[in-house]
Amino acid sequence: MSENLLEVRGLSAGYGQIEVLHSLDFHVADGEIVVILGANGAGKTTTMRSVSGMIQRSGDVLFDGNRIGSARPDAVLRVGISQVPQGRGTFTDLTVEDNLRAGAYSVKGSIAADIDRWYDVFPRLAERRDQRAGSLSGGEQQMLAIARAMMNRPKLLLCDEPSLGLAPIITQNLFKILGELRDEMGMALLVVEQNAGLSLQLCDRAYVLETGHIVASGTGDELLNDDTVKQAYLGGAG
Amino acid sequence: MSDVHHEGDSVTLDDGEVEMATEVVSGKSAGGLPVFTPQHGALHWLGRVLVFALPLAYLLMRVFGVTGIVGGGWSNSGLGLLADAFIIAIAVMGVNLITGYTGQLSIGHSAFFAIGAYTGLVLTQGRVSTPFFGDENVWDPGWTIPVAAALCFLVGCVVGLPALRLKGIYLALTTLVFVEAVRSILKYEKFEDVTGGATGIKGDKYTPPEYVFDFFGIKLPTGLDGRADLNQWMIYLSLALLLFIMLMVSGIMRSRIGRAMVATRDNELAAEVMGVNLSVIKTVAFGLSGAITGIGGALFGLKLGLVDADVPLFGLFGAITLLVAMVVGGAAQNWGPMVGAVFYVFVNEIARSIGEAPADYEAVFTITLIVLVVVVMVVVARYVMQHRNDIRANVSNGAWKAVLVVVGSMSALVAAGVMLLGISDGGKLDGLGGVIFGVLLILFARFVPFGAVGTFRIFRSRFVQIIPKPPSESRAAKAPEGVQVQGR
Amino acid sequence: MSLFIQRMFDGLAEGSIYALLALALVVIFRSTGQLNFAQGEIGTLCAFFASTFTLSGLPVWVAILLAMAIGFLIAAFVERVVVRPIEDRNPGAVIVALIGVFLAVNQLSAMFWGVDARSLPSLFPTNADSFFRIGDAAIRWERVGIIGVLAVVVVLLFLLFNRTKIGLAMRAVANNQESSNLVGIRVGNILILGWGLAGAIGALAAVMLAPSAGLTGTLMLGPFLYASVAAVLGGLDSPVGAVVGGLLIGLLKAFLIGYVDFLSDMLFPVMLVVLLSVLLFRPAGLFGTEKVERV
Repeated sequence: MSENLLEVRGLSAGYGQIEVLHSLDFHVADGEIVVILGANGAGKTTTMRSVSGMIQRSGDVLFDGNRIGSARPDAVLRVGISQVPQGRGTFTDLTVEDNLRAGAYSVKGSIAADIDRWYDVFPRLAERRDQRAGSLSGGEQQMLAIARAMMNRPKLLLCDEPSLGLAPIITQNLFKILGELRDEMGMALLVVEQNAGLSLQLCDRAYVLETGHIVASGTGDELLNDDTVKQAYLGGAG
Repeated sequence: MSDVHHEGDSVTLDDGEVEMATEVVSGKSAGGLPVFTPQHGALHWLGRVLVFALPLAYLLMRVFGVTGIVGGGWSNSGLGLLADAFIIAIAVMGVNLITGYTGQLSIGHSAFFAIGAYTGLVLTQGRVSTPFFGDENVWDPGWTIPVAAALCFLVGCVVGLPALRLKGIYLALTTLVFVEAVRSILKYEKFEDVTGGATGIKGDKYTPPEYVFDFFGIKLPTGLDGRADLNQWMIYLSLALLLFIMLMVSGIMRSRIGRAMVATRDNELAAEVMGVNLSVIKTVAFGLSGAITGIGGALFGLKLGLVDADVPLFGLFGAITLLVAMVVGGAAQNWGPMVGAVFYVFVNEIARSIGEAPADYEAVFTITLIVLVVVVMVVVARYVMQHRNDIRANVSNGAWKAVLVVVGSMSALVAAGVMLLGISDGGKLDGLGGVIFGVLLILFARFVPFGAVGTFRIFRSRFVQIIPKPPSESRAAKAPEGVQVQGR
Repeated sequence: MSLFIQRMFDGLAEGSIYALLALALVVIFRSTGQLNFAQGEIGTLCAFFASTFTLSGLPVWVAILLAMAIGFLIAAFVERVVVRPIEDRNPGAVIVALIGVFLAVNQLSAMFWGVDARSLPSLFPTNADSFFRIGDAAIRWERVGIIGVLAVVVVLLFLLFNRTKIGLAMRAVANNQESSNLVGIRVGNILILGWGLAGAIGALAAVMLAPSAGLTGTLMLGPFLYASVAAVLGGLDSPVGAVVGGLLIGLLKAFLIGYVDFLSDMLFPVMLVVLLSVLLFRPAGLFGTEKVERV
């Protein structure tokens, strides 16, 4: 129906009796970087998890012509959505290379070329291919998590707070890499973040999520200059 | 974390707390007049005995053919079973203290049961030299009970000391090995002089005393006819001890130590932060629970009049028996062990008599098979109905899975049928009781986590709130809030 | 010296049984963090099935394969129907339920096959003259065969875990279920597969032990405890540890019986000491992973 790669309408989700997301509407167009900005407990991770099918949810989710509103995680992966979970979620007991192989679990056929390619993008991972992922530094683990998600050859990459627990310089580097990924591969990105400064500069459009409702949306620049956003996420009105 | 206690549930099931909550609700909604009198104290206990234990005992006597109360003769074997039930209940009280209240899953308490039983027999048979007590080392049977308790307390503390650093599967495994280790020691030929080695100890049967007490010439006769009335005497003795221990445990659970035990179970870290000395609490809890189970063991040994290391209740299966009785009765329920033990003995006896009767099982198995077929068909039909859209569209191999489910369950049925009809030739059915209890453990762990008594209390506490009538409309509007306090 | 070699082979053969059973325990522990208390009993039940199959004329190796398939199904069933519905609730409830499976399965075999010993032929020659000599020591082929079976199972498991996609998925699930879901692994299916695999290995251990130990309902009671101690000794999450631990316990047992007279009837107290020493001084076992992770 549209040029939108991901179209979410009336998405509600929660845990047990408690509803966390209240009828969200948002979309991501092809090749677009979209940020969902929110404070702790706003429902960012729940949004990610309901798109990727990790929890029960209701509402319409359309992706590339597929209805995935009630699909399980493996089906979501197969239509081309990968997720980098919060806290990276690498397989700490597995080697770096096995992590990449596991990332391609849903891919049929040879994956040797993909592995080489991501070693080219992240040379640090190539150096450590036989090390346990748990022995990598935080930044390296984040790279591994992204590479692992990319092994699925996604059309849309979901990133759950990639800056969490990383030093500012590493975070900047990471966002640079994310931007390059989009440019090179024409892939779309949906990132949830607390770090408004960096993520709003990176993105094309952004939504602001508060207690399970989307309260604002616009281009990155618009929101960067929005007073409420400044106050809430950028430290003061200055 | 205990085995069948559940966090995150608004119903707290430690003894007394449900009633306390009930008082609040009922007291408020009945216009200032308390509907229920205070729930603790001697009178209430008497009430519980009258309402709970006596009818149960009466029912069991009737079931087992004991008709002494309403005329007719007493069935000696029925009395023996009832005595067994109370004795096992005492042993289960011990398991309940450490597993139910303190949250340390022990599958090793049959070892304390064995130690208690051996203590009784060793002392009454004069197999060890005890220069300061008794004549010629032969002890009066009654005095062996506290000795058994003391010995088991010591062993419990020694076992508890390392065990307090273990959790979950490690503790369960260690206690399991402990049972076999104790059995090996009891069988050990180098200790034959004391424990009788592999053959065990055969003693004279314990003779009930003629007088309950004989105090400066004031005598209260028991009215029992010596050995012939052993079972009857064991019922009195074990029921008295059981009620005493229940009183004691409910006292402990209201004391600082008891609250520390519950805190240890619910959240070790929080308990430690609150100033609970975990190692002391766990060691004491292990010792006490061992002592209580040891008392049961001593009574068991005296009643049986012989012990050897191969008595089923002393081994792995004994340990599981105690666990079954605790889980069925209800973990962390003061009345749980009695209910569970009576249930265990009762069902075990029925299963044994079914298994031993030289019957033709064909009818039974045919019925079993029919029930199985119906259950499996319902399950398969439900599966197909739930997944019919997936199956039709073959989403995530739905059709293949459906075929697999149907074929798998059908072949399982055929196999079950062949096996069931295959055993009908034997005429003897071993293990029926065990299968029942095994399945019960599985079912209770999933569906009845609070056991019989706990579930009864939840049911009662719900039921009780409906009774008080709100006196006015405004109160009626508020009533649902009161219900919410305890609703799940 | 020849006696020593003989005892060593006895110990290694017995240890191989423990190692197999310990491997099964480790496979399950790695996937769900549970100790399958019913592991031994499921094996016993399968051995009874195997004995019935051989009586009906099937070759021994077919009977063993069928028994392993049954072990697979029973263990998979236990995971799906007994363990999974309660595993999120509380670890204690799972132990209670597994003890229930232990009791039910053990008594089921008594119900169907009675309490008298059954016979189960060995896969290997067991005639009086089926042995070979190393020096003066007579080594029975059956012992070597059992050790060989362990070796084959170890190699197959190694290949499964390290060379196949399913094995990779099993390791991933053992490490992080949430992330496994995210990369498209059906965690539930992998768990069932892991338990089934363990059930099959446990059945293999039982059918290897039954010919020499005699097939009764108590066949695996002792071996289960030895194997559990072995698994803890080697490290409950380490397959290598399970094999080494199993062989060590087997050797320890054989040498205690052979050389330390006053302890030959006190094996379980010794096991208790071994278990407590490991748990108190090296809880991760010989080969278990000490969890050290950088964030």
